[in-house]
Amino acid sequence: MAGLAACASAGSSEEQEGDGTLAGDVLMWTSFTQGPRAEYMEDMAARFEEENPGVSITIETFAWPEFYTKWTTGLASGQVPDLSSALPTHVVEMIGAEALVPVDDVIDSIGRDRFSEAALAEGQVDGVSYSVPIYTHAQVMWYRKDLLAAAGLEVPQTWDELRQAAEVLTSDDVYGLSVPLGSNDMMATRFLNYYVQSNGETLLNEDGTANLTSQAALDGIEYWVDMYETTSPEGSINYAVLDQATLYYQGKTAFDFNSGFQISGVADTSPDLLDQIAAAPLPRMDADDPIYGGETSNTPMVVWQASDVQEEAKAFLEFLYQDSDYIDFIHSVPGGMLPALSDISEDPAYLDEPTLQQFADTVDVIEEAVPLGTAIGMEEGPRIQAGILTSQGVIEGMFQSIILNDEPVEDAAIAAQEQLDSLFASAGAELG
Amino acid sequence: MTALAEQRPALAPSGGPAPTRPSVWARLTRIDKVGVAFVLPSAVAVLGLLIYPVLSSVYYSLTDQNLLRPSHDLVWLENFRQLVTSDAFWNAFATSIRWTAASIVGQLAVGMVLALCLDKVRRLQGLYRVLLIVPWAFPPIVIAFGWKWILNDVYGVLPNLLTRLGLTDSNVSLLANPTTVFWTVLAINVWFGAPLFMVNILSALKTIPREQYEAATMDGANAWQQFSFITLRNIRNVIGLLVILRTIWVFNNFDLLFLLTGGGPGEMTTTLPIFAYRTGWGLHQLGMASAVTVLLLVFLLVASRVAFAVLSRWEKEDR
Amino acid sequence: MSTARLTKSGAGALRHVVLAVASIAFVFPLAWIILSSVKTGAELANNPLDVLPDEFTLANYRRVLEDLGFLQNLRNSVLIAVVATAVTIVLSTLAAYGIVRFFPRFGQRLTRVLIATYMFPPILLAVPYAAIMVKLGLINTYAGLILAYLSFALPYAIWMLVGFYQTVPLEIEEGAQMDGAGKVRIFWQIATPIVLPGIVATAVYTFINTFNEFLYALLFINSTDRMPVAVALYSLTGSEVLDWGAMMAASVLVVVPSVLFFMSIQKYIAGGLAEGSVK
Repeated sequence: MAGLAACASAGSSEEQEGDGTLAGDVLMWTSFTQGPRAEYMEDMAARFEEENPGVSITIETFAWPEFYTKWTTGLASGQVPDLSSALPTHVVEMIGAEALVPVDDVIDSIGRDRFSEAALAEGQVDGVSYSVPIYTHAQVMWYRKDLLAAAGLEVPQTWDELRQAAEVLTSDDVYGLSVPLGSNDMMATRFLNYYVQSNGETLLNEDGTANLTSQAALDGIEYWVDMYETTSPEGSINYAVLDQATLYYQGKTAFDFNSGFQISGVADTSPDLLDQIAAAPLPRMDADDPIYGGETSNTPMVVWQASDVQEEAKAFLEFLYQDSDYIDFIHSVPGGMLPALSDISEDPAYLDEPTLQQFADTVDVIEEAVPLGTAIGMEEGPRIQAGILTSQGVIEGMFQSIILNDEPVEDAAIAAQEQLDSLFASAGAELG
Repeated sequence: MTALAEQRPALAPSGGPAPTRPSVWARLTRIDKVGVAFVLPSAVAVLGLLIYPVLSSVYYSLTDQNLLRPSHDLVWLENFRQLVTSDAFWNAFATSIRWTAASIVGQLAVGMVLALCLDKVRRLQGLYRVLLIVPWAFPPIVIAFGWKWILNDVYGVLPNLLTRLGLTDSNVSLLANPTTVFWTVLAINVWFGAPLFMVNILSALKTIPREQYEAATMDGANAWQQFSFITLRNIRNVIGLLVILRTIWVFNNFDLLFLLTGGGPGEMTTTLPIFAYRTGWGLHQLGMASAVTVLLLVFLLVASRVAFAVLSRWEKEDR
Repeated sequence: MSTARLTKSGAGALRHVVLAVASIAFVFPLAWIILSSVKTGAELANNPLDVLPDEFTLANYRRVLEDLGFLQNLRNSVLIAVVATAVTIVLSTLAAYGIVRFFPRFGQRLTRVLIATYMFPPILLAVPYAAIMVKLGLINTYAGLILAYLSFALPYAIWMLVGFYQTVPLEIEEGAQMDGAGKVRIFWQIATPIVLPGIVATAVYTFINTFNEFLYALLFINSTDRMPVAVALYSLTGSEVLDWGAMMAASVLVVVPSVLFFMSIQKYIAGGLAEGSVK
């Protein structure tokens, strides 16, 4: 059932057993849609093909939402790539569907101790690794220096300060902070998760059940509903990640939450604003509280079980991590992608980049947050619940129901929590 | 699928030489080998393209097939039991009915008014006709882009204009506001579908013999009587057929609402096809999603049977 | 002037008002998309009420055509739609004529069956199709997508054309047969030219339906350079920046040819029905 790739390479995989040379057609899916990243991958593929004349690499690029539809349908019909990028929560689902092969050999060969343990853990089940982190980033609070200065405001350190500042900065031209609640994305979950984490709580209990009724969660829900109603465009109830980010790129919002990808977004969209943006740690309950991990994303690569050119796919994967090339890759979105290899973060060749230097303080803020956080719901390691928490729009639906139907916060939270628990159960998660 | 005109002359009003006279041809030619050759390729294609997939979907609807898991168990009617006891399903069903009925009524009303006006207008008729079919040329994705851009509450021309004119205090988002979202998507669907009704009704109007009106005028019939006894009577078959086909189309349509609102906000624009897509591709419950679509199909079959019965009675009356 | 005449001219004016207002409302989105597509990103973001661009720019088009290779997607769509339409029309004219002339009694029942096939929700068919296509090695090919399109195009086309062929008077064909014409020749040289307007109308509908299709294209085509425009446009919403200017430019590239095409064949879509039923 492996489709075209299978027919094309059926002969070649036998050859390879004989003399150890690599041969076959490798199909790679990535979500690296941005120009430089896509070009970088094409270059690497061309060079790999040159070094391994028997191998041909085809790269297809999809945006994340499309990507999810593609591989889920693909798995049902037997049409998946050999190698692909993924999101940590996807990886959990892929492992659950027995769609991936272990990649410990690749990790060892690159150097296991060069990766962060937390990042590796997101792709590990029973000590076996199914994914290799390729870059990392963390969520921080973005603000506009010029708007804050004009209003005589300090950079907010607490949630209350943020609310006050956002209200002050909301004007005819600018929204203080957009609160994205669209149910086709996970943005509301992300925002709620920041708030809950700042209280030392989590959205998933240790026993694997959902937790939307902790005091921190209930306060957080109210906080964001209130922010939606006072500082956010009405349409943000339907927003997905891009609608949200684009507002900040265009200077329409004073605050936003995002990773260092914000830099390239602003640079592409409103270069004039580039000098006016900066990031600070996520707000806390109290200014004295320690910095915490709101959300760290370790974007990994995976090799597919259905592939019959796994050796070739793994070889190409490893090829991507050669020091100087890897630095070029990370530089393709400076500040947005941070190295997954700890030694590279210190490498002068990596640090010597104009954007990274211009945004040195901001990048420090992000780097400080990276080791503190995990993907949403992954505090206890990879769990199927994390994927459901972020992919089903349950929390987004809860927010919409509170806002659209005036449902009391607590009732909505209880209902959403029950809905999540039943989804967890029907997905076969071990609860309790 | 995407939209397009549905018209079929056999049921058109002219009462032309409807030809299913027992086949003289069949008597002339004893064997129909040639006939078989004519029909066979399409028969094979239609059967091959539809029978297996439909049967396999019906089968899936009886299983707990998960999109991400290779094996499944037969659960018989369990999916259906869960669906008919689920609020979300009935909500989507009700939304589908409301969305379809309101869209068709709106498209028909606007299309009819425009066709009646066009039929009588001499000057500029060509220009109007050309301008009024423009929405029809929009693929769903472009409908979504265009309208979402116009209605965008930050950059869109309409919300900004309303605020500038003092009609709203701050920019409204018609696609996010619970009181406006349904009417907004409805208006967009009417905008998109009305030209199709207009074109087909207009060409039906052109086939009404002028003498009927002249005779009616002599008999002293007023305008309303002429409209209901001559105009409507002559074009009702075309209208009936259009309504049936467009109803099926709108009921089954996934693209337009999915691209415009994704079914939201809340569940306010979640129709059955979107519900099925979410069940299958969001929750991965392929068996359940198949059950939804099977119910959708059953509903359409029953509804269209009733509608066709009405239509053939009209045809009989016309004879 | 008599009252009657006054009401008459009043009604005439009212008709023009209705038509003019409707025309403006119907065309406005197209006009606005075109105007937006030649504005700069900054103007789009900051001057939502400007009608004419302050600074005319083709940057959005350059981005769509050069950076995103949108022309290739347009070519794909046209190719897929043309082939799907050609196959559909060949198969459906044969079938429709065959049904009308050789199996007239089946005709009625068959119509019902065909209408039923029109009712299968496309979503219902998506997974089985994906599985079949993988088995046949047709995933990610034009052929696979075209085959999937036949599932909705063919029944509908046959159904429409049965109606048109039924309007061909049997006497004409019998006359030709007396003169010694074969069945294939009668089909090709006698019956088909008579229903040509109907065939054109059917072809137009098929073309537009296949050109616009979204769901199957999204699910069955994986490579960027084989994607039809509907999906390529959709991808714009998932890249790194929501580039409204590029989205508008891409929309114009799809819609304007479509509108021109519609305007030029307008006579056929409107006339197909009338002519078909008169003869």
